[in-house]
Amino acid sequence: MAASASDSLITLIVNGNAATGSRAQVRGDDLWLPLDELPAATAWELKPEGVCQGETCVPLSPSQKAAILGDETTASWFNFSEFARLIEEPVASDEEERVWYFGPPGWEWRSRSAGTAAPDFTAPDLAGDPHSLRELRGKKMLLLFWASW
Amino acid sequence: MTIAADAGGRDVVEPWIRAASPSHVALLDPDLTIAGLYNVRNVPSAFWIDESGRIVRANDPIYVLRRDRATGETSRNETYLNAVRDWVINGSSSKFLADEAALEKRRPPATFTGMEAAANFELGVYLIRHGAAARAERHFDRARQLAPDNWTFRRQAWSLSGATQEAIVAAIRDPAAPAFYPDLDLGD
Repeated sequence: MAASASDSLITLIVNGNAATGSRAQVRGDDLWLPLDELPAATAWELKPEGVCQGETCVPLSPSQKAAILGDETTASWFNFSEFARLIEEPVASDEEERVWYFGPPGWEWRSRSAGTAAPDFTAPDLAGDPHSLRELRGKKMLLLFWASW
Repeated sequence: MTIAADAGGRDVVEPWIRAASPSHVALLDPDLTIAGLYNVRNVPSAFWIDESGRIVRANDPIYVLRRDRATGETSRNETYLNAVRDWVINGSSSKFLADEAALEKRRPPATFTGMEAAANFELGVYLIRHGAAARAERHFDRARQLAPDNWTFRRQAWSLSGATQEAIVAAIRDPAAPAFYPDLDLGD
């Protein structure tokens, strides 16, 4: 399954980080990544215990393994779309510009919107200094969202 | 604390923040990720967060100062400001705190469809920032189909793609469109 000459390079956006120049291939509706690109492009890596990112590992059943790694004896491609479905990541893509956007996994977007605890965040002010909500714990806070438009 | 949920980023929000010269912390959210975290569907939207980090009012549509287009007169939203004062003085016994049902209505749990809308919106913003504005529109449309009540996405898209004022007003006034702002509903 070598990349055909007509395939131009793909931009992958995972967790807000864009990786340009990926040799990924679109097969059907799915995006397949060369296995050697997986860690740098997505921060996920294939380990004996599953697909891992830091302390988090997603174990794969034999059928999931077949769907994500194909049925070759030596896997060299990774179906990142199939993995995204497994971990409930929202996906959007533009075939013409060859950009694929993957949102956060299900456990992340589910937990952050549940309950009344104010989700923490860190963002820069005009000077570029980071501030987080946590800093103001212990005070009442009015949090106001606005825009210039 | 204020959050500039504006994909125009520093360039467009800096003059506003400088002019306001705020004593509070004023942060930038150019990818609208914090707005997404709080399920903000239009701006301005305000939250009250108590000393323990609990949301006690969510997504209130707030103009503290409002300028009448016809007369040019500026008025303060005293109703809302009085509610804020009441909360500051009375804390957890303020009559203006929202109950759990009201909070959930104002900030419903995230759904996969909502996250798909956000993914399409973010892709559109990326395409515009990388010189492919012509391709962005279809993804903004998709975001609108998936999350019709998210005016933040729609208004930001209009701003980025240079929609005409007439088109914007027509879309907002469309009787079939979801409410532009929820009622303030101070529950008093």
